[in-house]
Amino acid sequence: MTTDTVTPAGTGTPVLHASGVTMRFGGLTAVRNVELTVNSGEIVGLIGPNGAGKTTFFNCLTGLYIPTEGTVSYKGKVLPHRSHLVTQAGIARTFQNIRLFANMTVLENVLVGRHTRTKEGLWSALLRGPGFKKAERESEARAMELLEFTGLAAKRDHLARNLPYGEQRKLEIARALASEPGLLLLDEPTAGMNPQETRATEELVFAIRDQGIAVLVIEHDMRFIFNLCDRVACLVQGEKLVEGTAEVVQGDERVVAAYLGTPFEDAPGAEEVAEVEAAEAHATDRAPGPDSTTGATGTTSTTGPEGDPK
Amino acid sequence: MNDLPQQLANGLLLGALYGLIAIGYTMVYGIVQLINFAHGEIFMIGGFGALTAYLWLPAGTSLLFALPLMILMAMACSVLVAMGAERFAYRPLRGAPRLAPLITAIGLSIALQQAIWAFYPDATKSRPFPEFEGGRIDLGAFAIGRGDLFLVIAAPLCMIALGFFVSKTRTGRAMQATSQDPDTAKLMGINTDRIIVTAFAIGAAFAAIAAIAHGVKYGEVNFKMGFIAGLKAFTAAVLGGIGNIYGAMIGGLVLGLAEALATAYIENIPGMSQLGGGAWKDVWAFVLLILVLLLRPQGLLGQRVADRA
Amino acid sequence: MTTNQTHTIAPVLPVPATAARLTALVGALATLGSTFLAWTWTAEFPGDLTVTGYPGGLQVLTLTGALLTALFALAGHGVRGLGWLVPGGKNSPVRLLALGTFTTTWYAVLAITVELGGLVNLEPGGWIAAVASLVTLVGALGLPADVPAENPGPASGWQRFTHAFKAPAPGKAAPLPSWAEILIIAAAFGIGLFIFTYGIDTEYAELFIGFLLLIGFGAPAVARAGLNRRLGALTATHKNVTVTAAFVAAFAFPFTQSNDAYATIGANILIFATVALGLNVVVGLAGLLDLGYVAFLGVGAYTAALFSGSPSSTIGIQLPFWAAVLAGAAASLIFGVVIGAPTLRLHGDYLAIVTLGFGEIFRIAMQNMDGASGPDITNGPNGIPNIPDLELFGFNFGEPHNVLGVELGRFSNYYLLMLFFTIIVVTVFRRSDQSRIGRAWVAIREDETAARAMGINAFRLKLLAFALGATLAGMAGTVQAHVTFTVTPAQYKFVEAVPPNSAFLLAAVILGGMGTVSGPLIGAALLYLIPAKLQFMSDYQLLLFGIALILLMRFRPEGLIADRRKQLEFHETGQLDAPKGDIGLSKAGV
Repeated sequence: MTTDTVTPAGTGTPVLHASGVTMRFGGLTAVRNVELTVNSGEIVGLIGPNGAGKTTFFNCLTGLYIPTEGTVSYKGKVLPHRSHLVTQAGIARTFQNIRLFANMTVLENVLVGRHTRTKEGLWSALLRGPGFKKAERESEARAMELLEFTGLAAKRDHLARNLPYGEQRKLEIARALASEPGLLLLDEPTAGMNPQETRATEELVFAIRDQGIAVLVIEHDMRFIFNLCDRVACLVQGEKLVEGTAEVVQGDERVVAAYLGTPFEDAPGAEEVAEVEAAEAHATDRAPGPDSTTGATGTTSTTGPEGDPK
Repeated sequence: MNDLPQQLANGLLLGALYGLIAIGYTMVYGIVQLINFAHGEIFMIGGFGALTAYLWLPAGTSLLFALPLMILMAMACSVLVAMGAERFAYRPLRGAPRLAPLITAIGLSIALQQAIWAFYPDATKSRPFPEFEGGRIDLGAFAIGRGDLFLVIAAPLCMIALGFFVSKTRTGRAMQATSQDPDTAKLMGINTDRIIVTAFAIGAAFAAIAAIAHGVKYGEVNFKMGFIAGLKAFTAAVLGGIGNIYGAMIGGLVLGLAEALATAYIENIPGMSQLGGGAWKDVWAFVLLILVLLLRPQGLLGQRVADRA
Repeated sequence: MTTNQTHTIAPVLPVPATAARLTALVGALATLGSTFLAWTWTAEFPGDLTVTGYPGGLQVLTLTGALLTALFALAGHGVRGLGWLVPGGKNSPVRLLALGTFTTTWYAVLAITVELGGLVNLEPGGWIAAVASLVTLVGALGLPADVPAENPGPASGWQRFTHAFKAPAPGKAAPLPSWAEILIIAAAFGIGLFIFTYGIDTEYAELFIGFLLLIGFGAPAVARAGLNRRLGALTATHKNVTVTAAFVAAFAFPFTQSNDAYATIGANILIFATVALGLNVVVGLAGLLDLGYVAFLGVGAYTAALFSGSPSSTIGIQLPFWAAVLAGAAASLIFGVVIGAPTLRLHGDYLAIVTLGFGEIFRIAMQNMDGASGPDITNGPNGIPNIPDLELFGFNFGEPHNVLGVELGRFSNYYLLMLFFTIIVVTVFRRSDQSRIGRAWVAIREDETAARAMGINAFRLKLLAFALGATLAGMAGTVQAHVTFTVTPAQYKFVEAVPPNSAFLLAAVILGGMGTVSGPLIGAALLYLIPAKLQFMSDYQLLLFGIALILLMRFRPEGLIADRRKQLEFHETGQLDAPKGDIGLSKAGV
């Protein structure tokens, strides 16, 4: 259908390129043939109604799901379908429902984020040579820098679970940044925040961009998205409806229709949302879905998944 | 190698026994993601329940007449213990880190085994179980023991009843829904507590049937019999795809066949002449488990493997 | 989340505070005095409680309890020079100690009555002890509560009772000169060694039960008084001193034993504890449930036995001990990888059942390899007997040696050898815990998906933890083979009355506290001593063990010594804030 990729004018080289990403769970197509490019120095927003497949798309990008079709490449290299290798390559993420290591301290959480950028193995840890101590010191210094950056330095020894909600979100970002990514994926970073906190998060995202890290962000808060993003893509029912600058997307009547509830073909009802969620819940990060090769694009948008996912 | 039909029959009978026990593992696991280690002991207690019922009757009562009472008593014992375990040991731990219920299950398993050992009269050694009189029944290519008849009749009946229950009754369908998505099921107004208890109870009832089958097949029950049987049944559940009730039975049959064939034929394989026979059958069952996990972790019929992401 | 109003809560017994304190004090002194009288007329009751003027056996325990009660009562009253005893709670320690003294004393009196058949067997001293300890308890229960109530309104009797045992955390200690701090640490370990030795040396079940009762109440009393926290702060500042002190205390143990029989217990506890610590890497750090851990011990033991030069070994080769240790560890490592590689990719529960299966299969395979039903390797159920004693650097472990005027018997020698391995395992545990690898393990335990999204190769790290655990057990097994002379398949069951076996190992880790160093050591000591000392109830040991596991998971899943992380995980308190700037305590135990 409409897959009008807008090539941004003048910005840097592509960091992330997703081409033809399709994700099916059993009979349900959650993401259909999505193209998306993020260039260096850019903040790109991904919007769409509930159940549009935004998080599923994120999971495809980060190797948590193996897309049924399509490839994801980072700086020109096709990414493997392993979550830890994606992070190693340079893509870090946060989660929609915060997933911190709740019983580790704030500092330890960020140190875990350093995992891919350090390589002291078991022997090194057991023998505690000078190299180990140096690496630990450096990791800690870097982690403290990030905690300063996110304003959590004073709470370094608190357990993550004891932080207030807004700070947990920040800690998740700090932890993701610790892996020194070239691209940061934020999944609803301001969900449940008050306006001041949202404002602070905005500042934080700009600051991250200014460090040369490209950002792809899912968000419901339109104000936030349109303030923040250089480019916005709108996902509806797993398909990319439109992509462009804030003005273009805001002015697109199909987007307005999708959000205001005027049925666009068949707007996803509550049941469909539930189905997507249920299918995702059952998906495993290893077992790929049945690799049917039927055309992805032309089919109707009301996928009635009769097939029981069990 | 003309005894192949005989070995196949042996394997299927053994497998049906494993399958019946495996139902309990798979149902409980499907719904609460808990390996109920104590299930083997619930099986064992069913055996002692049946024996108790038999001993109540006047000496010399025909086993055939005693059987209905024995089945009732076995089921009553197993189901009561299973429901008690669910209510008092597992339910308080719902939402606790997953190590906690597993360890509780181990504790429960040890406690039940030891309780029988310590308090059931003369249970420190194997107790004889009534057997059907008469020799083996010759069916041409193979023969089966008279005691096996019980299994041959009971196992298919149980499976049909279970299939009917799960697909046709309200509770059964609610159970399917809960096993697929407990949270949504709760939202839909399904009383998950009741579903969980039902799963424990049905599993226990099947284990009780299996215990009687075990008793009449081998002519004895003992306090230790739940441990290895439980382990095997769990293997069967994994083979079939844990969470899948038909898979459990099929996994049981496959495991039984593999065990029977390994016992009979492995010593004919050059270089493995010393690794055959009954002494090694448990080892081969375990090797099969490892191989299945390596090659087809979702089991023969199953689809679900890892956690919900 | 602090309420501004504080609500006072009435003591359990409505008595004026001064009167209550006086009652408790007088009661404690009277109890103390009663231990110098005869409690019974005949020496038939073990420990000879007939002598006037010289307390023996259970009387000594009552004496200790009463003395401590009196001391803490005085300290709580604010007597000068004793304030250091109660930096935390002032009255709850007294209550706990009074309760401990009361139970110990009444247990003694009842044991005399029951065993000798009737109350007539009690001498006046026994009556006085019983009454005086009751008076102490009544007084202690009348003391006011240490912390204000959280909820206003009247409290039921039970609420008042449980509330009476709560105590505030101590404030920050005034700094002492560091030599004094070091002395305090040394003294603490000295006391620890003494208590441990006393427990091992109890000669009859009654004394051991009394000991357990007193410790059971005394340890929480000391904790309520805030002494644990104070000591914890000291050990955090003097880590090296603490480690050295712990080592010296452990090293000193065989020198306190005149009887090699008790050294046997020490050596066995140490083997058990070392293996439990290895399991703690797997369970406590990486969160993997290994139910067949003892099989890895068995692999090590069988390897060492086969290469020991035992005349019954089917392999005629004798390797030097160090090579046997390496071989045992390597064999365990291989088994660990073979078991772990297929299973660790899957859901954690599969690991539990596969390891359980492996534990059984190992035993069955060892049993079968007797030449009749399998290849002739292990002599089947008879095992490999006559494993020769080790001789390292000319030091024969089988013979008694005279060191510093103390004769060290065979088991003392092996105890010291095992101690060396314990230190290795403790070091491995601590160092891997506080490193990139350990953090990754804990991260996987906490949330595997998030850990993988942070770039952690979860499968590889889990396999590393599992294999490391297996290797440590294999190493310990090589020593165990020499200590026990014989290895048989029956030593490596899933559960039996004699530790170490898989269920007891897991229980030691959980009872003591997952993810801590001291937890499994204490857990192992308790789980070894209780069955060894209470032979009279051997028929019900495993039954009680099973029930205890269930109750433990229900009521104190974090174990005796809680890793701070774990404690929060199990009880969703959520309000507890980590101490600021005091990392030493926020990590795993002392």
